[in-house]
Amino acid sequence: MTIKEFILMRVQLFFFLVTMILAASFFVGITVAPEQELYYQDLISPIIMAGLCILPTCVTYFKKEPTIKQYVFRLVLQLGLIEGILLTVLTPPSDTDKLVFYITIGVIIFVIYVIAVCIFWFQKYRQSQKLTQQLKNFQINGSK
Amino acid sequence: MLTKVIKIKPDKPEILEIHCHSVSDEVKEIVAFVKSRQGQLTGTSDERQYEISVTDIFYIESVDNKGFIYTKDKVYETRQKLYELEEILRKKNFLRISKSMLLNLMKVDSIKPSVNGRFTAVLYSGEQVVISRKYVPDLKKALKGDG
Repeated sequence: MTIKEFILMRVQLFFFLVTMILAASFFVGITVAPEQELYYQDLISPIIMAGLCILPTCVTYFKKEPTIKQYVFRLVLQLGLIEGILLTVLTPPSDTDKLVFYITIGVIIFVIYVIAVCIFWFQKYRQSQKLTQQLKNFQINGSK
Repeated sequence: MLTKVIKIKPDKPEILEIHCHSVSDEVKEIVAFVKSRQGQLTGTSDERQYEISVTDIFYIESVDNKGFIYTKDKVYETRQKLYELEEILRKKNFLRISKSMLLNLMKVDSIKPSVNGRFTAVLYSGEQVVISRKYVPDLKKALKGDG
């Protein structure tokens, strides 16, 4: 993937996220707090939130094929960025112990991230199984 | 070198003869090229020259501008460039799977995911070779028969 394609994909993802955050804000807002008033400055928050979501994905760009070590390093870096951004943005409720709050959020992010990586790997596994099946058919039924 | 092409009757065998003063590198390259077109590649191992049937080749790799042909239990060096071999072997079920490797699809036992987001091809010899992400669409295309 070229840097141009990568940036284009991030921009597409950014606008998709902005739309989704706006839609989610509308549905959650109208259900939970329909009386809540919003101001002009609130309109910028979906853009900021989408931007913050996109930021950690930028470290996954590779110009050359990564080695296993490089790949793992980038995953750890991405997780670190997600943790850093979310822990900075989120503020604990006044009646909660700050340390417990941040540790809990940190662990939750870690677990979600690991699950996401596992899902990604499982998708790859399914894809590889499909490719193997196609390969067997190719070898039996004939070639190019 | 003077080149001559003579048409013969279909009942006579086709022959390519090279009349030369000495068997130079150029002549060897021409012979290797013709043989590769006939389903054979020329490779050297232990300073001896061998004719390798394309069907016996597992993969061909280029390392430091040198080409290496891998069969089940032997490695041969070849003078031909990877891009030349790619062109020759395109119709013989070979596919480029990385910048430096051509893989014989008939020798692949399975494909499995690799830790770094890539795929690994497990060969019938037990060896494993990495398929670069860039070439995965070509692989899919080839297996669907669009290659």
